[in-house]
This record gives sequence, C-alpha cells and structure tokens, in this order.
Amino acid sequence: MFQKITAALVGLTYTTALAHELSQASNEWFASGQAALQAALAKQVNTNTARNMIILISDGNGVGTNYASRLWAGQQAGGYGEDHVQAHEAFPNLALVKTYNTNAQTPDSAGTGTAMMSGIKTKAGIVGMNANVNRGDCATIAGNTVATMNEIMAAAGKATGVVSTARITHATPASAYSHSVDRNFEARVPKGCTQQADIATQLIEAMKAGTIAVAMGGGRRNFLGKDLTDEEGKSGRRAEGENLIAAAQANGIAYVWDQATFEALPLDGTPVLGLFEASHMKYEADRSDEPSLAEMTAAAIKMLQGNYAGFFLQVEAGRVDHANHGGNLARVVRDQKAFADAVAMADALTDDADTLIVVTADHEHAIAFNGYCGRGSDILGLCMGINSAGVEHTGKPVTASDDKPYTVAGYLNGAGSVLREDMNWAGVRPPLTQEEATDLDYVQQALIPRSSETHSGEDVAIYAKGPWAHLFDGTIEQNVIFHVMLHAATAN
Amino acid sequence: MKHWQARIGPAPAQEPSTVPHLDRRNALNLTAAALVAPSLSLADGPIRLRDLYDRNGGFSPLARDHKGQRVEIAGYMAPPLKANAWFFVLTKMPMAVCPFCETEAEWPEDILAVYTKRQVKPVPFNVKIKTRGILAFGALRDPETGFLSLIRLVDATYG
Repeated sequence: MFQKITAALVGLTYTTALAHELSQASNEWFASGQAALQAALAKQVNTNTARNMIILISDGNGVGTNYASRLWAGQQAGGYGEDHVQAHEAFPNLALVKTYNTNAQTPDSAGTGTAMMSGIKTKAGIVGMNANVNRGDCATIAGNTVATMNEIMAAAGKATGVVSTARITHATPASAYSHSVDRNFEARVPKGCTQQADIATQLIEAMKAGTIAVAMGGGRRNFLGKDLTDEEGKSGRRAEGENLIAAAQANGIAYVWDQATFEALPLDGTPVLGLFEASHMKYEADRSDEPSLAEMTAAAIKMLQGNYAGFFLQVEAGRVDHANHGGNLARVVRDQKAFADAVAMADALTDDADTLIVVTADHEHAIAFNGYCGRGSDILGLCMGINSAGVEHTGKPVTASDDKPYTVAGYLNGAGSVLREDMNWAGVRPPLTQEEATDLDYVQQALIPRSSETHSGEDVAIYAKGPWAHLFDGTIEQNVIFHVMLHAATAN
Repeated sequence: MKHWQARIGPAPAQEPSTVPHLDRRNALNLTAAALVAPSLSLADGPIRLRDLYDRNGGFSPLARDHKGQRVEIAGYMAPPLKANAWFFVLTKMPMAVCPFCETEAEWPEDILAVYTKRQVKPVPFNVKIKTRGILAFGALRDPETGFLSLIRLVDATYG
C-alpha cells in the first residue's frame, strides 16, 4: 500500500512539474484545467449510510434542456453563459441515464417515475405497477403493484415527502405514493374499476397512514367534488359531495393553499398538505401568491428533519416539461433556474456526510441547437456571428439560406412549426427580430407540425453527492437509480 | 369544465347577462367612444395580450386605461368553437393540446374573446395575427357556445 501511495505521489509531482513547464502553463484555461485535475484527484468516496435522501427531478430537463438553462442562468448573472455552473453541475458524481419505457422508445413521466421510485421499468402511462398491466385496464391490476421508495423508507422508519410544481397527483409525484393503471386517474377511476382508488384518494390515504408526511404542489381540484369551489373560486373534479381536503384536515393533516398559509405552516411534525393551485402551480415567470420550489423544498426538509431516523424526499420541477411542450423556451429556463435554486437549497440545508442528493430528469424533449453562434449569443435569441478578432459575438445575426436569421435553440416539432395547414403544409419561415425571439411568450420555430411538442428518448444526466453517490457512473438504466438509493439507505 | 364553457378574465361579481349575439347597441356606444379617444396602441404597436392582466389574474391598469378604445392586440386564434362564428378566442401563445400536461383541453387564464365585424375565417392556431377592435369589459355569455367572457374586443378585424 505504501509503495502504491508513494508511486502515486511521485506520478502526481511529475505530472504537475511537467505541466508547469509547458508554454501554455500561464494560460488561464490551463490553470483552471489543472485546478479541476486537483479537485478530481482529491475526490473521496463516501460509504456512510444515507440517513437522508433527496431526489430532485426536473421533468423534461434532459442534457439539451439543461444546457439551455445553464446559459440562460449565466447570462442573467451578467456573463456569457457558456461557462456558468448550475448548483447540481458542481456535484462530484455524474452518470447518463437511458429513459425508455418497456413499450416506448420515447418515454412518459409515469413510466420513468416508476423506474426511479420502484426500481423497475414499466409501460408508458403506468404508475407504481409493473409491465404486466395494460394501461387503463383495471382488470389487469391484481398481483402487479410494486412498492415505492416512499413506502419502503416509511416502513423503515423514515419520514417521507413529495413536492412538485405540477399537480401533486401528476405522474412524477404520483410515482412516490400511488399505484395506478393509468396516470390520468387523478380524481376518479372508470366506472366498474374496483381494483384501485384514484390517485388523489391514494395520497390522502398515504398521509393518513403516515407514509407521506408532507405533500405540496398544485392540483386542488382533484381533491374536491365538482359541486365545490376552492379558495380561488375554481370548481373541483371529483364526484359531487367529495372533499378530500376536509377529510385530510379531519385526520389531523394541516392544509395550506397560498403564500400566507404556507408561511404559517407547522414545523412540529404535523403532516402537511399544500395545494397552491386548482391545477398546476404557475410557471416561475408568472408566479404570484404561492411559494417557489426552493421555498417548498426548504419547508419540506425542515419538517422531515425532525424525524429521528431520517427522511426521504422527492422534489419535482414539473413545469420545465410543460413549457417545453409549449415550445416556449423562455419559461423553460426560468422554471429550470427555480429548480437549480431548489437544488442549492437542499444542499445548503443538509450534510454531505449523511445525505444523498440525486439530481436528474425523467426524460428529454425534442429540443435542438443551431450553429455557428458566437460566444454570449442570447440562448433565447438569435444566433449571432463568431467574432474572429475577439471573444463576444459580433452582434450580427447569422442568416440561413433563406436570408433570415434564426434562434440558437429550436424544436424538432411542436406548435412553432413553420409548416402551415392553410398552405397545404408547405412552409416559409416568418421574419424574426431579436426583440420577438427574446419575448417571454415567444414560441421557438419548429419543423414538424404538432399541437404539443414531444418528449424525446435522448439520455438525461444524473448529478449526485453524498453517501454512495459514486455508484452513479457510466451510462445506466433509469431503474438503477432506485437501487443505488436503496443501497445507500441500507448499507452498513 | 368543457372548453367552450371557459371563462375569460377574473370571476364575475354576479351572474352574467346572456345576449343573443353581440350587443350591437353597446358596440355602437363603444364605437362612438373610440372615435373621440386616441388609439394609443396603434401608434405604439400592438398591446401584448399578457399585459391586459396583472399577476393575480385581474385586469391590468393598462387594460382599464384602454377601456372603450380601439386597440391592436397580437396573439393567436384558437381553433374556432363552432363553424360560421362571429367571434374567436385570442391566445398569447398557440393553443396547444398537451396530453402530458392536462387530461383534457383547457384554456389558459389570460385569453381574450374577439367579436368580429365579419364572420370568422379561421387562421391556423399557430400563425401569429394582429386583432384590432374596441376593448370592452363586463360579463357576456355567448348563447350558442356558452362561452363566458369578462373582457373582449368588439367590432374587430384581424389579419
């Protein structure tokens, strides 16, 4: 052992000395490269038991979407953007993830959520059940439900929670606590389906049973009968007379619904149900009178930290996906920035020694990037020329063969299609200015006409730190995430 | 809620009046008001649809300041609710139907009813248009579609 360490030190010294003799040694990039090398050499594995685990999922934030968000956040901070580091990008461990569902090359969030939370791949549209079921067919349910990480950790004595900016009954958060043969059974099941309850009912039952200690997100309407209106005057979606919020409160669960009640929520171990919108919570760009994802994450951690055996928490940025579906990159990057802020918050409130933090996405979208753009081109705006005599772009838009400029980012399909139904699906790209392209409501140009832009099957990344985070390495199947988390929680 | 029953604008204080068609008398009054009021937005460029609303879903000061005035507003024509209609819904972004976001088609909150001078000739939902008309407020339920609006353009043209 001593000889190996000595040899390593000699090698390191030689490498460092050699590096400093090179003509480029005084270059700032060379220096930062050497610093990165030293940081990598100093990495140590953490084989502690994970007392706490947090998985933060940015829905639809594949490698490409994450790239756009990195540049936007960096540009908002006053830089060029390309060199910006989002909170999760500073984590020491990284892997790529294959996201397909058992029956779908292009995955959906129900199948991917089940992979991450239950350790098995399943069909698209299925939550908490294996691939033996057929979507929507309750008769296929018997014997095919699978345990979720929240259920497993709760049984082991940990407090668990789920937080999302989507409806709390939406596919990804639902994968933490429910078992549904169709992700759309949020407020009701089809007539004759006696094998499962709807997803909202399953959440309340999980909270009453102590499996879920805190649940916050949108989706108030799925807990109220259609004859009832919520605090903001919006109607419920359940059968008349049903009120799951009242039922929760009757069972000692605290209920919060706006910023004021959120700020007054109890941190004494009382279970908390937070429902801040009738449907999804607002996009970060439009947010008003409801907490940010970072605020909800902080509140959930503080609530769960009181449990002596630790906690498990799933956090989802649910609307990165929705803005991508709309082809509206301006809202994608703002919601992803809110997600990165939540990651930073989770990191700040926990200790690497005993808390595993996993940051990932469930799937990517049909987003793509044009070239050749100069440094600092606005990631939402036009691709500007490369300045051969300097660093920052020329300020002159690059034009295509049609003599029109184009944006840095676009989508392969979606509502931004340049093909027009009233022109027999022929197309001409409309003229475009920087002001139009950087508007909050701008929809990026796309090729294939679709009402809603699609997911893609492209890999997503995992960024991890804490106990056993080093096991996230290489290119892995998505269900492996569950197995690493389970190992981290039970090792030693 | 069926999509054609969607409400545009903040919740009404009372049940809206139901009119057989666009209230022509009100429209005429509004037209007269527009003749004496300068059309600020036409000179300044189109109003953005989102600027008609505040962050809490209420009407913005800009919207209230332009009440009764002829304004130009940019947006997208949502797929018409019925054939041969005399009104359509303007959205700030293309009216996408996202099966992974919603279990059924839903209207966004910041939309605008546009009652037109002539029968609507549909424009694809993802082609940007500019509408010009008189900005009017008050609950109005379209009797044929059940569509309830609290803010709208009347006597409108588009292109």
